[in-house]
Amino acid sequence: MNAVLQPKPNYIVCDGNEAAAWAVSLAQVDMVAVYPITPQSSLVEYLAKFIADGRLGAEIVDVEGEHSVLSVLQGATLAGARTYTASCGPGLAFMFEPYMRTPGMRLPMVMTIVTRDTLTPQSVWGGHQDAMSVREVGWIQIYCENLQEILDTTIMAYRIAEHHDVMLPVNVCHDGNYLSFATGRVELPDAAEVAAFLGQRDVNWHVALDPDRPMAVDPLTGGAGGPGPALFVRYRKGQCQGMQNSLAVIEEVHADWARRFGRHHAPLVEAYRMDDAELALVTLGSMTGAAKDAVDEARARGQKVGLAKVKTYRPFPAKKLAEILAPVKAVAVVDRSVSFGWNCGPLYQDTLAALQASNIPAMSCIGGLAGADITITHFARVIEACAELAEKRSPVDTLWLNEHD
Amino acid sequence: MNENRVDYLVAGASHAALSALAAIRMHDPAGSLAVLAREGHLPYSPTVLPYVVSGRSAPDRVALKPAEYFARNNIAFLAKHALQSIDACAKRVHFADGGTMAYGKLLLATGATPIIPPIPGLKEVKFHVLRTLDDAMALHAALPRTRAAVVLGAGLIGMHAAENLAKTGAAVTVVEMQPQVLPGYFDSEAAGIIASVFADNGVRLLLGHKVEKLANSAAGCTLTLADGSTLDADLLLVATGVAPVIDYLAGSGVATERGILVDTSMQSSVADIYAAGDVAQAQGFYDGRPLVGGILPDAVEQGRIAGMAMAGDPAAPAYPGSVPLNTYAFFGQQALSVGSQSAGEVVLQESSGREYLKIVMQDGRLTGIFGINRPFDAGIMWQLILRRTDLSAVREQFITEPQKTARQLMSKLWR
Amino acid sequence: MSAYATIAFKPDRCNGCNECMSACAAVKGSAGQIDSRIQIVAANDSFELAMCRQCGDPKCVAVCPAAALAKNEGSGVISWDGGKCVNCLLCTVGCAYGGIVHNAAAGHVVKCDMCDAAVAGAPACVKACDQGALQFITSARIYNEVGDLEDLFVPGLSGCQGCNTELIMRHALRRVGPETVLATPPGCIPGMGAVGYNGLTGTKVPVFHPLLTNTASMLTGIKRHYKRQGREMTAMALAGDGGTSDVGFQSLSGAAERGEEILFICVDNEGYMNTGMQRSSCTPYGAWTSTTPVGERGQGKSQDAKNMPVLMMMHNCAYVATASTGFMEDLYAKLDHAIAASKHGFAYLHIYSPCTTGWRFPSQDNIEVARKAVETNFVMLWEFTPEAGLTLSRPLDQARPLTEYLKAQGKYRHLSAEQIVHIEASLAKNVAFIEKLAGPRKPATAQQAAVRA
Ligand SMILES: Cc1cc2nc3c(=O)[nH]c(=O)nc-3n(C[C@H](O)[C@H](O)[C@H](O)COP(=O)(O)OP(=O)(O)OC[C@H]3O[C@@H](n4cnc5c(N)ncnc54)[C@H](O)[C@@H]3O)c2cc1C
Repeated sequence: MNAVLQPKPNYIVCDGNEAAAWAVSLAQVDMVAVYPITPQSSLVEYLAKFIADGRLGAEIVDVEGEHSVLSVLQGATLAGARTYTASCGPGLAFMFEPYMRTPGMRLPMVMTIVTRDTLTPQSVWGGHQDAMSVREVGWIQIYCENLQEILDTTIMAYRIAEHHDVMLPVNVCHDGNYLSFATGRVELPDAAEVAAFLGQRDVNWHVALDPDRPMAVDPLTGGAGGPGPALFVRYRKGQCQGMQNSLAVIEEVHADWARRFGRHHAPLVEAYRMDDAELALVTLGSMTGAAKDAVDEARARGQKVGLAKVKTYRPFPAKKLAEILAPVKAVAVVDRSVSFGWNCGPLYQDTLAALQASNIPAMSCIGGLAGADITITHFARVIEACAELAEKRSPVDTLWLNEHD
Repeated sequence: MNENRVDYLVAGASHAALSALAAIRMHDPAGSLAVLAREGHLPYSPTVLPYVVSGRSAPDRVALKPAEYFARNNIAFLAKHALQSIDACAKRVHFADGGTMAYGKLLLATGATPIIPPIPGLKEVKFHVLRTLDDAMALHAALPRTRAAVVLGAGLIGMHAAENLAKTGAAVTVVEMQPQVLPGYFDSEAAGIIASVFADNGVRLLLGHKVEKLANSAAGCTLTLADGSTLDADLLLVATGVAPVIDYLAGSGVATERGILVDTSMQSSVADIYAAGDVAQAQGFYDGRPLVGGILPDAVEQGRIAGMAMAGDPAAPAYPGSVPLNTYAFFGQQALSVGSQSAGEVVLQESSGREYLKIVMQDGRLTGIFGINRPFDAGIMWQLILRRTDLSAVREQFITEPQKTARQLMSKLWR
Repeated sequence: MSAYATIAFKPDRCNGCNECMSACAAVKGSAGQIDSRIQIVAANDSFELAMCRQCGDPKCVAVCPAAALAKNEGSGVISWDGGKCVNCLLCTVGCAYGGIVHNAAAGHVVKCDMCDAAVAGAPACVKACDQGALQFITSARIYNEVGDLEDLFVPGLSGCQGCNTELIMRHALRRVGPETVLATPPGCIPGMGAVGYNGLTGTKVPVFHPLLTNTASMLTGIKRHYKRQGREMTAMALAGDGGTSDVGFQSLSGAAERGEEILFICVDNEGYMNTGMQRSSCTPYGAWTSTTPVGERGQGKSQDAKNMPVLMMMHNCAYVATASTGFMEDLYAKLDHAIAASKHGFAYLHIYSPCTTGWRFPSQDNIEVARKAVETNFVMLWEFTPEAGLTLSRPLDQARPLTEYLKAQGKYRHLSAEQIVHIEASLAKNVAFIEKLAGPRKPATAQQAAVRA
């Protein structure tokens, strides 16, 4: 039913939003629901076009808002469909009600967050604040660094989500403005091989709205004195367990992807020039490219700097990160969002928690808000501050990178 | 159904039995159910028999239920199965023909049978009784040859029979020990009106007369009364009362007085054995003392309650007690008797010609109402008595216009 | 067992004209009201009735020794056979309604035979009553039609006493059948246990709690996917008015605009009754709710209700209708139309559902309040299709005084004269609006005639 037109040669030049749309086509989803929002809009336009052109044989539902986007897809998933959508910022906020419910229902949906800073001030530009605001809701969150990773990860996300040990929704995050609109060469895997890689879709074996298998979906559960609370605990615990299970599944899926398609992406955390590193940067998403350049320059200057790029942010790969950071003397974590409660970045908090067994000092750097660039120069400042921290070993204030740009 | 065991066994096939069957099936459509009919006929009512005698009702048109009813309701209708004895411990009955059947619950609805008074010579003469269809057909067959009929007893059965015999052209004499007809249902004044209508229609009533002996005669028999006078009859009908049919109870442990003693769910002294209708001795409405009522509406009501109780219907009501009731149509006149003559004070008694009305009340509540050719709704009055409806507010109106007032009250109550 | 048509008597509408008695007597060949089988009895404060109720388990039949009375299983009428009757009058003992009586002129008992209404349309007495005190209720045919269909809800639902929503739920689902996915957004319906508790289900069809906000959207996804797979099924919602007209409106409007093939039933009890009787946009002007309380300054809701069904009509849905549990035959017909329409477009059925708890009236009065709402035009019954436009299911020109409806409910107890004037004025405007949409009167269909009766 799904006729993916395979371009020849097997690469295209496209932006990040189109790369995601290609991945969705290759995953042969049954249904997409769309509602536009900057900087996601072109992504759903590509999808609409692919469907209109017959390249993707999916049902498209043009709904009246993001709340309905996710609601339509929840219904479809419960009926057995593989689904897709994308959103960001205020759209994500608006869909929060059904969004919050998706993981509890264990619906293996895939949604891209084309990350964007949140209001207010009014802003339509990149930043991770939207995705970070929903980091504790129970979706798996994976951040991409480049265009190829967007395409590959979006396909892999279906296999991760639909794995029977996981059965959880996945957000594939790519940075608004940077990855959404950046253009480059992307290799397209063979459609039949992708189909073989993903296998038979099986999304509602555990919970369904199907007249052939009547059941009550999500009856009231809880209330002191009855069997409810214990049942509730089992659901919650199972959901946490599914999250933890996904760590191994993500690694396994990435390994299989590498085997089949020859491209390896670090599944949880990528270690860059960490071998003899004394200082380490921790990054997330597209900023990593500039950060790696800064590391290279520092190395050239003789500074022993390395980098750890967190790809899988939820569940947090604490063990993996701690392992990578273990040898260093100080760590600087660069966030593109803030934690209002702690006056620092959220990835920084997670890193601290991962490092709690060691006594490596760490600092929080915040940059790239509202579409600001984090340049190599900014990262050079970060490395400088990190070196200082390694020496002084006393707590330092959060470093706001773009404050005086 | 196991051939030899049923969940519900109903002995008798008349009003009490039929009403129990319906109640059981209403609650339990599946339980196995059998009904025993002593005779070979489909169920019929003893009440219709006087009209079979007169020819107004054809014997093949009196069945209360068609055979198809039993098939449709999955009820085994066992004709010519007379109950002989009960082994209450084994929960098994024995039939007169030797067969047996085990039961889960048993209803005894075997009704009543005529009492044959110990009058010298009675056993030697040919006489009729009227309780079964065969009795009625025998009487009907005897009519063409009947010139002079004598009826012993001026109760309901005797009076009905007397009227219908008279209508065939025979000379009819009714001999009654009591000084009035229909004692129990009507006082002497009302009975007098009824008696006068009979007299006007050529029926001779010998009230306060006792038959001393009987002997065969050429035409039939000769009766000698206590005052020495004699009566010749070519047809003699004995209608001096009925007694419950309980001969099969010997050894069963079921407690009896005149009839089978039952509680307000119609259960006898033995668990799972119930009784209803003329065979039962249930509590009276007014004083709660057990009595043998012997009227059709009671048989229906008791049968229904017994059936519900047997089937475990949670809506089964407690039997409220027997209220004497009678509707009596005779020679185109209507007499109604609802309730007790004595359970209260007479608040109205008036009569003129063939009209008569009497109302008895206690504490502002109706306890009895009796009329001849004065229309009121007997069913509504029965309800007012059973519900002990307070009539204080409408007392005067009720006494002047009982039918209209009672209709108003009931219409409001039903809403 | 079958259900049967009946003659209903509304004592408060009877004016004692006795036309029914004359009509009955005439049909039975007599000039005297005394011979009528329906007897209106004037009491001091009301008019009462003595007439055969055609009982389900008739005692007159049970006590008849001659098998002269029988309940006809087809029509439900208890018939009297003069060829078998022996004139013993025992039947009059069996009747507690004065429904079978000895008639001197006839010389035997007489009783109502419903005039063979199947032929006559309605019994003569009903036809003669121009007060609406006698009504011929034929809705029993619904039971005969659907009584054998499987009830798809669990036997025990924990609604408030007297709630008619359970009626709507059971009837609707029974009619729709098992090939259904049912959405019941938070509110009274899942509150009654429709979705179940703690791992147990409340229905025999797949059922779920959508969010209060996204019922129509979730159903969209379900229906679209099954349709894509070529599977026939009904995507159905039973939603309250809050989940329909307030927070659920956006997704509803979106689905309606897209023409999603959904059967959306709004059970309108004019507020958030499940959460404790708060105001919704469907709450009418003046009504007490727990968030529009009555006090020194507050006098109930100070705005008129949103006209939800009209809004849906403006979406040009495949089908839109209003219905009431006071008029079940009409409701059933509309349910059928809505189900059929949901196979090719969006079907919206707005059922007015009086709430005994929240509207403050005795629990036994639910259907009565529902009827009064319609009979006073407070609720107008109509249906709409894009092809036929809006048609009235019941004429609007015979309305009973609105106060009859307002007085029946505690939530309007505090109304001032000015408030009543306001309600009457708004209602007049609404009625004029609907009448205008309906256009000039078309000849009544059989269904309309039934709703009128
Ligand atoms: C002539 C006449 C006129 C009457 N008129 C009136 C009247 O106007 N109003 C009124 O209220 N009442 C009247 N009655 C009384 C009324 O008929 C009875 O009260 C009523 O029939 C009682 O019903 P039942 O079911 O209890 O018993 P019955 O009708 O007596 O039926 C008893 C049944 O049990 C069966 N049976 C008996 N023994 C056995 C056995 N051993 N095994 C199996 N089956 C057995 C019989 O065959 C019969 O089927 C009249 C009775 C008669 C005879």
